[in-house]
Amino acid sequence: MIPVSVVTGFLGAGKTTLLRRVLGDPAWANSAVIVNEFGEVPLDHELLAASEEVLVNVSTGCLCCVVRSDLTATLMDLLRQRAAGLVPPYARVLIETSGLADPAPILHALMTDAAVAATHRLQSVVTLVDALHGAGSLARHPEAQRQAMLADRIVLTKPDLAGDTTALEALLRGLNPAAAIRPAVQGAVPPEWLFATGTLPEFLDAGARHSDGVASITIEREAPIPALALTLWMQALAEHAGARLLRLKGLVALAEAPERPVVVHAIQHVVHALDWLADWPSADRRSRIVLIGQGISRHFPARLLAAIEAEVAEASA
Amino acid sequence: MTPPELRDLLADALALWEVPGRVAVAGEGVALRAPDGTALRVTAAEATDRPIRWWVEKPGQRRPCTSVVGLLRTLRNAVGAGEGEARRLRVAAP
Repeated sequence: MIPVSVVTGFLGAGKTTLLRRVLGDPAWANSAVIVNEFGEVPLDHELLAASEEVLVNVSTGCLCCVVRSDLTATLMDLLRQRAAGLVPPYARVLIETSGLADPAPILHALMTDAAVAATHRLQSVVTLVDALHGAGSLARHPEAQRQAMLADRIVLTKPDLAGDTTALEALLRGLNPAAAIRPAVQGAVPPEWLFATGTLPEFLDAGARHSDGVASITIEREAPIPALALTLWMQALAEHAGARLLRLKGLVALAEAPERPVVVHAIQHVVHALDWLADWPSADRRSRIVLIGQGISRHFPARLLAAIEAEVAEASA
Repeated sequence: MTPPELRDLLADALALWEVPGRVAVAGEGVALRAPDGTALRVTAAEATDRPIRWWVEKPGQRRPCTSVVGLLRTLRNAVGAGEGEARRLRVAAP
């Protein structure tokens, strides 16, 4: 499985600068990079695939539902070239989005295309925010907010020009309580931090952080959860919370196989295939699910799960 | 689920749907009023009614629901919040 990370950020946030810095690190030079736009600063790297946008209107007709259907084709073309020895055997793929992109459709495309999902694994979403102009972009552009909301990591760029970034960091924590935030001048941030696996523990630690609009909500269960209850719960959340459900991650003990935890990972209404871990990472074998939502009552997810669990238990008794 | 628990769940749901209104425990069930003024009542079904688990009542109508998931869907329509978004759960490719 080839790890894929998405690098996003509003116009001028410094995505290309950061990627050039990453690719300049010998340990990370074996990365394939896909950019969404032509005409940006050419990346001096041996692997560079360009992906033209294909816009498809779906039922709601909003820009959030634009699907970049050529992205998956580009990924698979690149993989075929890799297998044929036409390109070096890159170790990972980094996708640089357009500055005006809502990353959700890109993430959904990565998670739902059968061929891509069988060969690639979404590793992290890195969002760059301009420390100088970020607050303005966040205030005026919903795309910038979505980029921050969906991030695993947030890089504050140009902090040397902005001075005090306390207010901006507070704003970002309000939009995304789970993402780690780090300043970086000229893209100087360790790639390991940007694209590391294991963001789940950080995410799970984000429980109980919230702002007026966005909250991270933690659900813990001592007893294993029946798979049917978990499925119905997530279905109901997706149906009623819709786009307000931004991210959901968890380590869950399923009643059918509690000795091995499953990793649950959803981006809005798209749920990643369950990932079974070989063992629990610690002695703590409680199920822990953290979701980040906008305008979702703090208690609604837990109350709903409890009600569904009770019905499933009764039906199977 | 006890009536107070049902009240809390439905109050959360109304907030999520952005539907104004009050939910209150009323006897063995919960009473609420739709924005158009319609009085609604939700009660748990008897065990002998299975597979029905919930009843949603409004003047002249009594609708059965077989699960709390179905109850939320029925209630959502009853209070005029429309159907859930066409964002049904989609499982990523294996």
